[in-house]
Amino acid sequence: MLKEYFKIAIKNLRTRPLRSWLTILGIVIGVFLIMSLLSLSEGLKATVLKQLRAIGKDIVMIIPGNLSDIMTTFLGGAELTEDDLNAIRKTRGVEIVIPNVYKAEVMKSQGDSKTVLLFGVDLKNALEIYEEDLGFDMAEGRWPEAGKREILVGSLVPEEIFPGLKIGTQATIKGKQFEVVGILKSLGSRQDDSMIGLDLDIFRGITGKKDGAPQAVAKIASGFSPEEVAEDIKENLLETRRRQRGEEESSFSVLTNEAMTGMVSNIMGVIQLAVFAFASIAMIVGGIGIMNTMYTSVHERTREVGILKAVGAKSSTITSVFLIESGVIGLVGGVGGMIFGLGLAKLIEFVGQIHPVFYISASISPGLIIFGLTFSFLIGCLSGFLPARSAAKLKPVDALRYE
Amino acid sequence: MTENSLIKLENVWKVYQLGKVELTVLKGINLEITPGSFVVILGPSGSGKSTLLHIIGLLDVPTKGKVFLEGKDTSQFSEDALSQIRGKKIGFVFQQFNLLPNLSSLENVMTPMIFQGIPESKRREKAELLLSSVGLRERIFHRPSELSGGERQRVAIARALSNNPEVIVADEPTGNLDSSTGEQIMEILIDLHKKEKKTIIVVTHDPHIANYSEQIINIKDGQLTSNNLMGEKVLWESKK
Repeated sequence: MLKEYFKIAIKNLRTRPLRSWLTILGIVIGVFLIMSLLSLSEGLKATVLKQLRAIGKDIVMIIPGNLSDIMTTFLGGAELTEDDLNAIRKTRGVEIVIPNVYKAEVMKSQGDSKTVLLFGVDLKNALEIYEEDLGFDMAEGRWPEAGKREILVGSLVPEEIFPGLKIGTQATIKGKQFEVVGILKSLGSRQDDSMIGLDLDIFRGITGKKDGAPQAVAKIASGFSPEEVAEDIKENLLETRRRQRGEEESSFSVLTNEAMTGMVSNIMGVIQLAVFAFASIAMIVGGIGIMNTMYTSVHERTREVGILKAVGAKSSTITSVFLIESGVIGLVGGVGGMIFGLGLAKLIEFVGQIHPVFYISASISPGLIIFGLTFSFLIGCLSGFLPARSAAKLKPVDALRYE
Repeated sequence: MTENSLIKLENVWKVYQLGKVELTVLKGINLEITPGSFVVILGPSGSGKSTLLHIIGLLDVPTKGKVFLEGKDTSQFSEDALSQIRGKKIGFVFQQFNLLPNLSSLENVMTPMIFQGIPESKRREKAELLLSSVGLRERIFHRPSELSGGERQRVAIARALSNNPEVIVADEPTGNLDSSTGEQIMEILIDLHKKEKKTIIVVTHDPHIANYSEQIINIKDGQLTSNNLMGEKVLWESKK
């Protein structure tokens, strides 16, 4: 029976192709927006979370300043002093502290000269932490040796910054000669993958940054809860500043991996919600388009409804036929919007790979596809409901008299 | 009260509310139609004959009074049940043909069978047979707009017959046709009456059409004025 109604509905849609396609277009635009934006934001979230997951659970990050005021922190150049670092080291439960130091310098290699971000690696004390907890993985070569003029490069360096650079290539930084000994696998972010790593002491020597660090990473000893230690670190830091510098109002952010993951999830959740809300407005407009088309259609086909009822169609049959029509408009619009939306997302991903601004992947899950199709079908049915009911309510004799 | 009445109207009134004015179209109609009869309801325009036909055909319900179909009070039936009964037991032929414009002749004839749950192959077979029987074998894939008035009315008759109903209800079936085409249509109806023993009820204002019938019901101002049984004779004569 339903199959028959389906045929009737399709036939009706095809007798007014232009109107049907225009109505479908309204839905295509709505679904297109939802699909492209959701798949990209989902992909972005997955990328960021993947980076965080590469970092061990017992790692905390210490950043001076308040996170809610992050721009001031970075632009204001707030740094952790050597005293701060010592305060962290002395906190119970902290196994080791790695200062996170970097500086932009000019590097010359193979007759080419470029500004790169140098990154100090504490090879002497914390080699295994980089490997095990921070996700540093060697693609080629080995780690530099502490105290030697050897450098480690991110995965993008031989590809883009110094094309043709390989193990054994010589490079000059600040007039000192270095040799490339290792190439890292991708760490997941464009910035990290463009860095040049070298021994912390040598880094301090050539950059003139003798102590302190913009940020630090601490590994928590086993048996301690990262959350509790993070709290203690914060207290110690505040205490140190008060005692040594008389600062009453200093602030630090101590983030556990879990807190960072939670933050990213929250921010992305809010972004996705906003994206969805805006795209939904487009969807609602599309739905109103369906409703408009269906009301016009009911109006035009009043006599037809009368005929169908005269020859034995029940009210529920009439409702079904009109609902199927609007549902099909929704569904076809959904499929179209999905193809264009996911197509655009894939295109952005593709462009991002050739010319990366940021690693972005389009996440196309079966769940997203099913959600998109169900959503558009439901919008179709919902918009068609009132027109269908008004058609079904027509009295056969009135409908037949209708001119 | 005869046991074998097919359709029986008991004191049927129909009142329309037009703004503040009440318009009484039918005023206490009593009528009985026996199975296998050929009835013409004759009356001038505005006499209420179409309204009466709609009530007989269960397309409309009376304001007051009762309609019995095969002894059952139809006011007890839901709207959907009435649809079902119409589809199964009553075939309609209209002055305006009322074919579905986007469907071919064949699909038009097949449509009522959909609502009776008849499978597609059977529907098609039956529709082809019916269209051939009204002389439209060559026209089954044509749409109504590609057919002449007489052909359209023949499609409508084939459609009315698709569920093998007991009654054919025709509202001015020749009203939009020239007289010779109209005659052909009437002959098809008479054939159905004689060969298939169908009950035929025709509404018309044309006394000439009334001559085909064996029972003429005159209606004027919403009331039956006479109910003549003319007998088989007239029917035969009109066929020459």
